[in-house]
Amino acid sequence: MKVEDLLSFFDPKHCIFELRASTKDDTLEEIVDLIDPEKDGTNRQIILDMLRNREALGSTAVGKGIAFPHGRSLVVSRLMAIFARSSSGIPFHSLDGEPTYLFFALLAPPQDRSNLYLPALGKIIELVREDAIRERLMQAENFDQFTAAMREGKQS
Amino acid sequence: MMNPQEQLLVALQDLDLMLKETEDSREELSRLGFDVSGLEELRRARLHLVSQLDRGNVTHYENILKRYGRAITPVTGDACLGCFAKLPTSYRSSLYEGKVRTCQSCGRILYYPE
Repeated sequence: MKVEDLLSFFDPKHCIFELRASTKDDTLEEIVDLIDPEKDGTNRQIILDMLRNREALGSTAVGKGIAFPHGRSLVVSRLMAIFARSSSGIPFHSLDGEPTYLFFALLAPPQDRSNLYLPALGKIIELVREDAIRERLMQAENFDQFTAAMREGKQS
Repeated sequence: MMNPQEQLLVALQDLDLMLKETEDSREELSRLGFDVSGLEELRRARLHLVSQLDRGNVTHYENILKRYGRAITPVTGDACLGCFAKLPTSYRSSLYEGKVRTCQSCGRILYYPE
């Protein structure tokens, strides 16, 4: 998947550059609260339960300060990506035991015809493995700076 | 607006999907760096969900799941997206408030997007 294709799943309204949350569950709630039930046709509680279940399966905080809460739900009508950041870090039961700063949530319908869900997840993971991109994402102040940081991976 | 039983049924299908996808894609998820060791935890969550549902709804869900692989389907333009049969417009009325609606043609449980 190309970076531009991946970025098409993000939306300026689905970005938080400073999370208020300080716990894992509050982080999931704050992320889900970004979704507009009118526009995105979703049910908040069902999405939240799905993300909580995904965390029960195993933490999506894979280390290096990044987490990828993700899952499929019938109440999601299209693939959606959400970016959130905490400058102080959040205990998210990460695999390396360190706080998590960068969150990429990916929500998908049960069946996306082009099967974009796992490739999109894989592409985000591939990009943010790079230290330079994570550093730029920690500095980004708006959506344009966020997308610019993500595009940096394309050139490397 | 979904009633509590419909909400639980949708949550159950989401959970079943997560269980199936984890089992089917375990290798790929591990390759991406994810810990998916909590399958037992998910199975316990499923039991808890099922315990909150009416017995008849669970039986119907399980039967349709076996038949089609997925028990709940969205409705678009008053058509069942599982079999494309036309659904009664009265399904949207308050007559059905609190009831779990099913397709008269294929039996799938219907989800009306809000």
